[in-house]
Amino acid sequence: MDQLMANLKRQIIAQLNLKDLKPEDIGDDQPLFVEGIGLDSIDALELIVLLQQEYKIKLASAEDGPKVFYTVRTMAQYITDHQPA
Amino acid sequence: MVYIRSIGNVSPQATFGAEGRANFGTTGFEPSGTAASATGRDLITPAAPAVYTGNRLKAIEPDYSKYIDAKLIRRMSRIIRMGVAAAMDCLDGAAAEPGAPTGAGVRAEAPQGAAATPTTVGASPGRLVPEAIITGTAYGCLEDTVTFLRRMVENKEEMLTPTAFIQSTHNTVGAQIALMLQCHGYNNTFVHSGFSFESALLDAQMLLEEGQANNVLVGGVDEITDTSHTILERFGLFKRETVSNLELYDTKTKGTINGEGAVFFLLSKEPGGLARLDGMETFYKPTDLEDTTQHIRGFLNRHQVSLAAIDLILLGINGNILEDEAYDLIRSQVFPNTPVAGFKHLCGEYPTASAFALWLATQKIQSGLKRVLIYNQQQQSHHSLYLVSACGT
Repeated sequence: MDQLMANLKRQIIAQLNLKDLKPEDIGDDQPLFVEGIGLDSIDALELIVLLQQEYKIKLASAEDGPKVFYTVRTMAQYITDHQPA
Repeated sequence: MVYIRSIGNVSPQATFGAEGRANFGTTGFEPSGTAASATGRDLITPAAPAVYTGNRLKAIEPDYSKYIDAKLIRRMSRIIRMGVAAAMDCLDGAAAEPGAPTGAGVRAEAPQGAAATPTTVGASPGRLVPEAIITGTAYGCLEDTVTFLRRMVENKEEMLTPTAFIQSTHNTVGAQIALMLQCHGYNNTFVHSGFSFESALLDAQMLLEEGQANNVLVGGVDEITDTSHTILERFGLFKRETVSNLELYDTKTKGTINGEGAVFFLLSKEPGGLARLDGMETFYKPTDLEDTTQHIRGFLNRHQVSLAAIDLILLGINGNILEDEAYDLIRSQVFPNTPVAGFKHLCGEYPTASAFALWLATQKIQSGLKRVLIYNQQQQSHHSLYLVSACGT
């Protein structure tokens, strides 16, 4: 899980072009949106694509988005639970 | 006629901000008179010229952190950053100008509780918010367009990310400027090849003449990407031999040098500011040399200006022997005794290069010239004429 979260932080920074951030700047349980690192709805779409490209996981329902993308840990948990065999 | 209140320019030369304008101040141009000069063309050289030896010039970009919020800049490609920075520099110049256009309406106000010291990001306190924003671009946001298209191919039209698509449209620069300024006024972008900037300028002039706006921010933006340069180079548009841009007009070979840039002007009807734009006209694919000379003479006649009253003619010569021959013939026939200078050794050849020429003409008016005529053509098809004068003349 720790390795997966570290990878996710690197991938989020690269995908969203967050040049001012380093992986260690993103807390495992820090909210990604609004009050956290300040991501917005366009970033949410980028994260959906990231899940598909890097982990071959398609978000089952758009309504799950806020819960899945709440923090790096919730993303990692969703990936772990839905990783194709 | 309209007045140029302020200017902002990101180009392959150091043209940005007060330092850039000082770089093109009074130095570097001594009108030698005319045909007496060695090449027949005087060379405008800034105090600190950027010298290039390849066939591709690259814009010198400013420190964007002073102009664009860090959260916004991560989604902006190079041309968007260049365009936004040039626009903000232009508007800052208008705000600093004594007797800045009063009809313009709005200036951004400090949010409640904000520090007294104004920041310069976005709609910063004191920065003029124009009543209209008009942009001209031939190529648009090429970098994001290429990114989006490449991902379509690589991902087999699936899993496309939104950012590159959103930022790839031609009107992104104008839209981003408006978003940052919270400017809800008229916003339009013209994509008309070698007339893109001219079309934007014409729209701005009409808005001002018809009283639909008191001031208009108008600009021309175009960028080079690796892909676009490679494609255009295959067409044989650029020089194959190594040449310094400062010796561009001495080459007697085919091709020119590729250029790019983002230039913005704040225009108003209210007299004053840096210079007066007396007029601008375009003509497309003239039938022959005589047709071209008729257009130039007609333009000057309509503005009741004799060639003797013109201090300098900025020509769009670009070092391409196939195109410069026509310029030379026109020069010898129409204005053999007027000082002439090129500008494309500074900015390169690109569809909105005439915006750079208008910026340079404004600079020259500021350094003491009374009247400047610009004659530019792109690929022998798109011809444009500008007449720029000192405000008091």
